[in-house]
Amino acid sequence: MNFEATSHRRFFHRRRWKAVPAAAVLFVAACTGTSADEANPDAGAGADSASEAPSVVVTTGIWADVAGNVGCDDSVSITTVIPPGGDPHTFEPSLRDRETMDDADLVIANGLGLEESLHDTLEAVAEAGTPIFELGDHIETIEFDIAAAHGHGEAEDDGHDDEDEADEGEGHDEDEDEGEDDGHDEDEDEGEDDHHEEGGADPHIWFDLQKVANALPALADALVGAGADADLVRGCLESYRQAMVDADAQMLEIISAIPGERRILVTNHDSLGYFADRYGFEVIGTVIPANTTAAEANPAELAELAEIIEHEGVPAVFSETTSADDDAQALATAAGNVEVVPLLTGSLAPAGETGDTLIGLLLHNAQAISDALNAGG
Amino acid sequence: MTIFTDPAAWWIEPFTTNPFMTKALAAGLLAMATTSVVGTWVVLRGMSFLGDALAHGVLPGIALAFILGFDTGLGALAAAIIMVGAISAIPRVSPLSEETSTGVLFVGFLALAVVIMSSGAGAGAGDIDRFLFGSITGVRTADLIRQMVIAVVSIGTAVFFYRAFFVMTFDEVQAEMAGLRPKLTQGVLMALLAISIVGSFQAVGSLLVFAFLIAPPATASMLVRRVPLMMTTAVLIGAVAVYLGLLLSYHFRLAGGASMALTAVVILFVVMLGRALIRALRPAPPDDELPVQMLIANR
Repeated sequence: MNFEATSHRRFFHRRRWKAVPAAAVLFVAACTGTSADEANPDAGAGADSASEAPSVVVTTGIWADVAGNVGCDDSVSITTVIPPGGDPHTFEPSLRDRETMDDADLVIANGLGLEESLHDTLEAVAEAGTPIFELGDHIETIEFDIAAAHGHGEAEDDGHDDEDEADEGEGHDEDEDEGEDDGHDEDEDEGEDDHHEEGGADPHIWFDLQKVANALPALADALVGAGADADLVRGCLESYRQAMVDADAQMLEIISAIPGERRILVTNHDSLGYFADRYGFEVIGTVIPANTTAAEANPAELAELAEIIEHEGVPAVFSETTSADDDAQALATAAGNVEVVPLLTGSLAPAGETGDTLIGLLLHNAQAISDALNAGG
Repeated sequence: MTIFTDPAAWWIEPFTTNPFMTKALAAGLLAMATTSVVGTWVVLRGMSFLGDALAHGVLPGIALAFILGFDTGLGALAAAIIMVGAISAIPRVSPLSEETSTGVLFVGFLALAVVIMSSGAGAGAGDIDRFLFGSITGVRTADLIRQMVIAVVSIGTAVFFYRAFFVMTFDEVQAEMAGLRPKLTQGVLMALLAISIVGSFQAVGSLLVFAFLIAPPATASMLVRRVPLMMTTAVLIGAVAVYLGLLLSYHFRLAGGASMALTAVVILFVVMLGRALIRALRPAPPDDELPVQMLIANR
């Protein structure tokens, strides 16, 4: 595989105004005659270098990792649009990104409304003729849990019988483990191209390794359809799928160290629904009452959430590496002796660090959650 | 492919080889032409704050339309019309100035948009980013047709009401005497402003459309005197900003809408500094320092 996120693109991840100094410098560079090649040596390389392997453009680093593992041994050439550390909800594309997508043999996106700022662009790319594979179409989605997101009312009710709930969660796990094979759902889901317009389905689908593993054959088909070598991809698919199943088992093992009554999550935005569903947790509240980071926290709900946290003796609040954690910190302070633990959510860790692959990210999170919930009170 | 060794490849080929660049250019130019013509009056009449308020005031309309499944352009227009109406109504029923009522509505509408987008109903559809920054990378033919209609309507109205706007801007007493009804004229101008903003926010977003509205006319006002010439110059400067901004976004991987807005603002500062430098080196005749309004009014 062949990742090509250019270094200077990291200047403007997450918030657009970070682009201002970079743009000003480049503007001056342009005016004083610095060549475009010097300033940006690998621009456009994504499309050109793929003379043999099909060029596949992936919106997020997480799916780029997955696509690279399904299309291993250079059977596809992968370019990532959203730079490492970028928040997929708020990334703003350049016209060069648009060109990269138009020139690709296949564009892979999460879909379900995750890539908010790429929405119109992806539609226009599809109209221009590049096939788009959205993983959201191949995964059985769960609904975004409004009650949990608002941290009051129902969540408070849940709080009182959380022990039962958590126990149920544990049992539930094993059922899923043995019986459920989501692979059959793919055909049904394929027709629903307009999922992401509905707004009900939670787009954070990569937190359930079992579901992701079941979507891999469809992804492999799409890669082969784009021109990747079928035999190579089949081999990659088998070993990667096995790795994912193993990692899923490892996740369950790490999680099993957490007693049932402690499996309570308070997260930054409602991104861990699939994780909670698969690995037997209950999300009792979120700092930002939405499934997007592009919304704002509400002080009354935060105060209420702080009370619940205190009452339940929740030892940790989980923040995200792609968002500021000041609201989470304030919540932790308000709730008393609570730790703020950063999780990798919308973006992989920088290459070389723990969590620079999807499997690594999930294992890292599982360990961090396990450590945090087992520590303290 | 450098600017100087192969200028055609840097300056022209991105547009000739990529249909999306042509569409982005068309969308940018239409937005810029509309906002520059209307923006000239905004700059001359000192209505910048109102323009800024309106550019953000469309957001709750967009957010509501998105949640309810209406056309976001219509939602934006509805919000803008309500805002314009309220801005003219508040000074009539209260001792508050128009500027104060504009400020109150500005922040009120912006807060309303955030409340809507952060509510349970908006949570599943939290796409506010799309509307703040637009999607110049995803312009479609239908968007272009809509923009073209809005451009023709706005520029046509601006031409039709040229005399009324002119008299109102430079001599309100004469406007009253000539029976031109400045209040009505002001209303038409505000409506025009609202329409031009709505027509452009899909290309550059409601946060950056203000740069389109103010920067090119302000730049032009430093270079020329006569209003029609100022409009023409503003459109030309705006066109350069759009063209250069798109190229910078393309060659340096910068966010599309922001590159155009930033280029427009940078051009303003370059012109301002250049003008100041020239004046420092060669003192200007005394009457040249008079504000443009006084010069015209005294004729």
